[in-house]
Amino acid sequence: MSLSLYSQFFIPNLNGLRMKFSFLKRLRVFFALLLFLPVLLFFCDFLNILPKQFHFLMQIQVVPAILAGSIGILLFLAVLTLLFGRIYCSTICPLGVFQDIVSRFSGRGRKKKKKGSKKQWFKYSKPRNYLRYGLLAVCVVFLVFGIVTPLLLLDPYSNFGRIANNLFRPLGMEINNIVAAIALKSGNFSFYHVSVETVTAISLIAAIVVLLVVGIMSFMRGRLFCNTICPVGSLLGLVSRFSLFKVVMDESKCTKCTLCERACKSQCIDSKNIKIDSSRCVSCCNCLSRCKSDAIGYRFSLKTKKQSSALANEVQVSDSLVQNEKREGRRAFMATGTAVVATIPFIPAWADATEVDESKLRPITPPGSKSLQHFKEKCTACHLCVTHCPQQILKPAGFNFGLGYLLKPHMVYKKAYCNFECDICSKICPNGAILPAGESKKTIQIGIATFTQERCVVFTDGTDCGACSEHCPTQAVKMLPYKDTLRLPHVTPDLCVGCGGCEYICPVRPFRAINVIANDVHQVSRKPEEEEMEHIEVDDFGF
Amino acid sequence: MKRRDFFKTGAAVTLAAGLNFDKLNAALKSNNMIVEAAPDMVAVMGGEPAAMLDKALEALGGISKYVKKGQSVVIKPNIGWDKKPDFAANTNPELITALVKKCKEAGAKKITVFDHTCDNWQKCYQSSGIEQAAKTAGAVVAPGNDEVYYKTIPIPKGVKLKSAKVHQALIEADVWFNVPVLKNHGGARMSISMKNYMGIVWDRGFFHDNDLQQCIADICTWEKKPVLNIVDAYRCMRKNGPQGRSVSDTSVLKSLIVSPDIVAADVAAIKLFDQVEKMEVSSVGHIANGEKLKLGTQNIDKLNIKRIKI
Repeated sequence: MSLSLYSQFFIPNLNGLRMKFSFLKRLRVFFALLLFLPVLLFFCDFLNILPKQFHFLMQIQVVPAILAGSIGILLFLAVLTLLFGRIYCSTICPLGVFQDIVSRFSGRGRKKKKKGSKKQWFKYSKPRNYLRYGLLAVCVVFLVFGIVTPLLLLDPYSNFGRIANNLFRPLGMEINNIVAAIALKSGNFSFYHVSVETVTAISLIAAIVVLLVVGIMSFMRGRLFCNTICPVGSLLGLVSRFSLFKVVMDESKCTKCTLCERACKSQCIDSKNIKIDSSRCVSCCNCLSRCKSDAIGYRFSLKTKKQSSALANEVQVSDSLVQNEKREGRRAFMATGTAVVATIPFIPAWADATEVDESKLRPITPPGSKSLQHFKEKCTACHLCVTHCPQQILKPAGFNFGLGYLLKPHMVYKKAYCNFECDICSKICPNGAILPAGESKKTIQIGIATFTQERCVVFTDGTDCGACSEHCPTQAVKMLPYKDTLRLPHVTPDLCVGCGGCEYICPVRPFRAINVIANDVHQVSRKPEEEEMEHIEVDDFGF
Repeated sequence: MKRRDFFKTGAAVTLAAGLNFDKLNAALKSNNMIVEAAPDMVAVMGGEPAAMLDKALEALGGISKYVKKGQSVVIKPNIGWDKKPDFAANTNPELITALVKKCKEAGAKKITVFDHTCDNWQKCYQSSGIEQAAKTAGAVVAPGNDEVYYKTIPIPKGVKLKSAKVHQALIEADVWFNVPVLKNHGGARMSISMKNYMGIVWDRGFFHDNDLQQCIADICTWEKKPVLNIVDAYRCMRKNGPQGRSVSDTSVLKSLIVSPDIVAADVAAIKLFDQVEKMEVSSVGHIANGEKLKLGTQNIDKLNIKRIKI
């Protein structure tokens, strides 16, 4: 090839070559773990130990960057891909790295044979362009019309987030609780019990199905998900065809021994025709050290266009010529798999059947999300805010708010309420679905408390309560004289921020006497008046 | 007598002797106190929290009257809200530091501080300054955020509340101190010593749903009573309680009221409060309910009250 001279200059002998290539692979693994572990830990950090700066790792994900409109990050990722190929998929994408981990456990394509097991290799497969670009097109078209649902279901980062939030995090919490329970028996309170409040039936099922589908696909076929279903993979594949550094084969040296092809978890090396499909290669560098004749390398190559067009031609030709049953079977599998992924949410309509509460017909979106419309258009349900809400009140929705709100978090005030001083969800949202609120959070009105006198215990039982007023941070719910010494709650709507303190603590069941009704467009609440501090001198006990 | 039996008896006698000796000691000590005729209540005004606690405990006969060597102690402040100390929404952290130190001096084996908070417990513990105050003084800060920490106990004398889930730390403790802050309260009218009991139970919803003022009195009848109620009135929350909207809702009273009589302590505290914001004792329902359940007396004029001004 064109750069054999170049490579000879840098890599004088075969041993050196192998070493260098195995170094590239190690470098890839190093970066993958360096970026993957913090993301995993950040999602599972139920003790809230990790610094919030970690959320930068979520911001550099493709889909969040697109939705947040982070042009700088997108440019960086585009340049990165143009230079080095789809290393994004091998290092930055948490679902990609997760698949590599699963794939490694399968042992497929690895040199060392497991004792007593039949060695499984990878084999070249044709690209499924209609499927992958079709799914990408669906995501893009829907996105243009402001519907994020297809992208939400297919985005690798969001899917990883959902798996982490609904499966890995609860697992960590339960392990913590076992430790805490043992410590508690000896009166040790250093570990504390945590309850899992953020997993709903639908989000759990969605996470399990994706984990199984992606897990099985990667166990059997390496990066099959990334190269057939993942819209981010397809998008980057369009760019990586033209990347400057890529894995290339040297026709003059290749012996067609298929060693590289067997190691390729993207199944994109066609050793028979000495071709590599750069649009599917994730630059994992597994193939490099396998070649015994220096015919494959990760090199600077400008011969991109010719190659890829030749490849595309060839693919088309062979597509029209070859029609074997085996591939039909595979296609059926793919179609089924995709259909399953896409229909996850439809399965458990029963799972979200809770009491019908008229005040909860529309979702309450977190402060900073501006409006229901904005939130619906931007959120891909990665559940990062869900995992970081210290009150665990952000819960993934089911079908109760329609398909457009599927799996997206909404505020539920059944067991807790939004802390007046807290704005963490707005700080960490990578999609810009919840925009940074800061101090203004205290005057963002996400909903308004409405009081139903007929249900209130003061009215029905004639006893003191006032729990709602007690929990109101702005005194929007105030106790006013009612009869005898009794006082009844009264709501001043423009002071209310919709934090749900009143709703959470109201003791009336099944329907509470005070409920927050969502604002479709968030409003600004009136700031409680600042009063002068009265200095009252007291020098007598008064008794 | 067989040799083995001889040893057994010997060991038993030694043990018994040890126990008796302790009891005798304690009895002697408490006898001394009776001779000195400790007041029923001490009210201190004009000092910093630690200095006022010093004076109050001195007048009552010293901390060792309440905490014995090797005992485990629970201090139950009000840490209900994610507010800074100057909001007077939570007990003054300096008072907690001082009390933990006193318990240490008395030889307490373990001192635990907790509250079942309303706001997020970690934020409350932190913002109130109590976690820091308690830990630096040598106490353990226990979480109260989860049902697993609460065990069911019977309340035989309760009118509405017949049983409740109470924090394990308190059930296991030898003695405990009830350390509320003096506050106005939207629901219960006032939040002082009796209302502070709501932070030892898990299910507060039951209280609100079943006559709040009666349930507050009922929970106070639990057989394990605090050795002292120490009302922090260094700052009080005059209005918009129990959270307060701003520092302007507070008044600085620089006072401390200490009494083993929970009803009397609250009555005295309301009368102190009444000077900055009108409040009738009769409108605070749980006080009268408490007296009916023989928790103490509202008639504080008949008590031996020691008033100290610094």
